[in-house]
Amino acid sequence: MRVNQNDLNTPVENTWCPGCGNFGILTAVKGAIADLVNEGFAELKDFVLTADIGCGSKIYDYIKINGYYGLHGRAVALAVGIKLANPELKVIAFGGDGGLLNEGIAHLVHAARYNSDITTVMHNNQVFALTTGQATATTERGFRGKSTPLGTFEEPLNPITLMIESGATFVAREFSYDVAHLKETLKAAIKHKGFSIIDVLQPCVSFHDTTEYFRKRIYRLEDEGHDPYDREAALKKAREWGYDLDPDARIPVGVFYINDEKMAYEEGWPSIRKGPFWKRKRERRWEDTIRKYVVV
Amino acid sequence: MERQILIGGEAGQGVAKAATIMGKAFVREGFYVFNYRDYPSLIKGGHNFNVLRISAEPVSSHEFDGHDVVVALDEKTVRKHAGEMKKDAVVLAPNRVNADSKLSVDTENIIRELNAPKIMENIILISAAWKYLGMPFESLEKTILEELKNNRTAVTAAKRGYEEVETGKVMGTAPEKRARYFITGSQAVAMGAIAAGIDLYIAYPMTPATPVLHYLAAVQTEYDFQVLQLENEIAVANAALGASYAGAMTMIGTSGGGFALMGEAMSLQGMSEVPLVAYLAMRNAPSTGVPTYTGQGDLKMAVNIGHGEYPKVVVAPGDPKEVFERTLEAFYLAYKYRVLSIIISDKHLAESTYTVDGFSPRVEPERFIVEDVPEDYKSYEITETGVSPRAVPGQGDAPVRATSYEHDEYGYTREEGEWAIKMNDKRFRKVRYIKEEVASLEPVNTYGNGDKVIVSWGSTKGAILDALKQLDGWRFVQVSYIEPFPAEQFLDAVEGAERIVLVENNVTGLLGDIIAEKTGMIIEEKILRYDARPFTPKYILRRL
Ligand SMILES: Cc1ncc(C[n+]2csc(CCOP(=O)(O)OP(=O)(O)O)c2C)c(N)n1
Ligand code: SF4
Repeated sequence: MRVNQNDLNTPVENTWCPGCGNFGILTAVKGAIADLVNEGFAELKDFVLTADIGCGSKIYDYIKINGYYGLHGRAVALAVGIKLANPELKVIAFGGDGGLLNEGIAHLVHAARYNSDITTVMHNNQVFALTTGQATATTERGFRGKSTPLGTFEEPLNPITLMIESGATFVAREFSYDVAHLKETLKAAIKHKGFSIIDVLQPCVSFHDTTEYFRKRIYRLEDEGHDPYDREAALKKAREWGYDLDPDARIPVGVFYINDEKMAYEEGWPSIRKGPFWKRKRERRWEDTIRKYVVV
Repeated sequence: MERQILIGGEAGQGVAKAATIMGKAFVREGFYVFNYRDYPSLIKGGHNFNVLRISAEPVSSHEFDGHDVVVALDEKTVRKHAGEMKKDAVVLAPNRVNADSKLSVDTENIIRELNAPKIMENIILISAAWKYLGMPFESLEKTILEELKNNRTAVTAAKRGYEEVETGKVMGTAPEKRARYFITGSQAVAMGAIAAGIDLYIAYPMTPATPVLHYLAAVQTEYDFQVLQLENEIAVANAALGASYAGAMTMIGTSGGGFALMGEAMSLQGMSEVPLVAYLAMRNAPSTGVPTYTGQGDLKMAVNIGHGEYPKVVVAPGDPKEVFERTLEAFYLAYKYRVLSIIISDKHLAESTYTVDGFSPRVEPERFIVEDVPEDYKSYEITETGVSPRAVPGQGDAPVRATSYEHDEYGYTREEGEWAIKMNDKRFRKVRYIKEEVASLEPVNTYGNGDKVIVSWGSTKGAILDALKQLDGWRFVQVSYIEPFPAEQFLDAVEGAERIVLVENNVTGLLGDIIAEKTGMIIEEKILRYDARPFTPKYILRRL
């Protein structure tokens, strides 16, 4: 059955600020899912999303597919668990830079290391938005927010190098207003077997408006002949911009790194490999289990 | 006829294994055995010991003194435990160990002659003790082969040890030789989970929950399920919820510190109503506490885990038979009612080995997933029982949704007061049905029939039952379901008591508080032990 991306709309009223970068992400995600269904990659019922807590994570309410709206920082751990229980599902985890890189960074790093076959979409507005504008791990030095009136001086974290070094096998950066490109990268990320992540630069018009800054400095990796299968080149490209908003920066977007050779986490487990647990009828008799400890 | 044997040595000398083999051999001979394990938090050196209590009658505790035989793999064992021995007791030890009343065993020579590994001293010594107690070699031999993967050298070594001493304090024969189980609380949780149909066990190592992780990991392929160790307890809890949401029968396991980290996720369980079973094995606390020793200090944490109000089940088994049966119940209730079931145990129950006559589970857990998912499926359908029919993602065309926010029946976020009320009412409507169900699961048990009553929960059961044998006019009321609290059954059980004494392995008497909260009854008299050691019958008898 063909799916139109509007079929994925929900009756929930959207509460993002007008002009918020999240709208672009929402459109791209719905488009990517509709395309993948129509292209026969998977059935709609096999898509599952998990969401963090934050503005970007409200996407849970705006897409009509299976979903688990979790806790702040834990969207990735939830997604890893879902995939372990049913490797046939296509699992996409959504979260902000605060949730993924502050509160829940351990899960992100380890899911990448496991090469869990899930896709993570980072709504990176370089700020805690839903809590009204505090600095996160990717906020530029010098940011003055309500919790940092003196300005921040900590170096921002670079999620692209972090993810490549952690073992992620598909690492990309996109700009939320470039919906067409984001959609294509999303499709590639979802199709990728192994841990994929897209760091989506998502301007927050209320607390961290970087729209103009990005528009002027973004360029596409593929336009400069980047080979995403070259790990060293990927790291080099990733280091070109360090998330400080320096005026001379050039900011690469697109796919930095792909590794198709690494085994996905779920493939390593003999029982998980057999497919969804819920379809299995267990015929274990309790007498047979406890018999292990009988002494005769 | 009762005997008590202490086996001691350094970590790495095979103390625990020797105790298991000897205990199991006695069970094979028709005796009841209780095997207490005591070890500090280190890997090599230190001082480990086991105490085996052997009896023709059911036994479920030990004493820290009154040993008939001390098997000493090192001199520290003699120094530490000589004062606890009976007057006519003997020490069985290698030549190098100095002790009074010692029966020397030339372990070094035997090891050399057989070219056996040094650790085999443990087998040589227990075999000598076996002979001293007048036990026939065959049952020991069979047990050694079972426990040491058919190691014939170990049998030869044992035979040599057996020949080293004369028979002394003869144990005699048990009234009846029959098949019984020799099992720890940890093994019973693991087997209970398998019997319940577990698909995934997810954990992060923490004593004393770790043995369950190890047992389940060892048999995961045999029973076709998976054991996963994730990056931390927060990941464990959240991934487990994800897995259960996606249809896997899932259990997590940890001790107090790990469970504290899981608190927020347990609260997510409460809101999202995704079934989950948690095994909580207490150590002495707070904080890191005395990590390899026992305590019952986490009862209120279990009852109150996670922020906000949501229904849950807390079940507190008292011995491995109950652990096995209650684990099945925990799965059954969690999946049927979409709640969190916590199985609360402790180091003493988890790591002591008990002799069990048999098991009689009361329930048969299942996935409790709907047959067909209707087109207009509502993940949080408001029903009379409060339980919304459970579907899993990928099952039907309708989306299956779970959420940490307050929500409507479809699982969409709702902040209106009206929805908060509807959904809170729905969630708490389950409690009545869970209570009814719990009432049929013997939530309160009474042993003996005196007018004076001991009230307790969990692993104290063993020592209390053994103390009861020496008491006149006392009965023991054991509370096994803490949440929902079986107030009626409890009040019936203590009715007419002329004296009530609360026994708990903690500082303040946590069950006492819960009883006061749930029934209004205040138990003034308390026997509380919080030296990180378990109760023994004498400890209780002296204080009654
Ligand atoms: C454990 C916990 N701590 C704090 C919060 C409060 N909180 C809600 S959203 C949020 C930050 C969100 O920032 P981010 O993840 O970057 O998402 P954004 O709102 O910017 O999209 C915080 C701290 C919470 N919900 N849970
Ligand atoms: S606060 Fe920022 S991130 Fe949140 S909705 Fe508004 S613009 Fe978007």
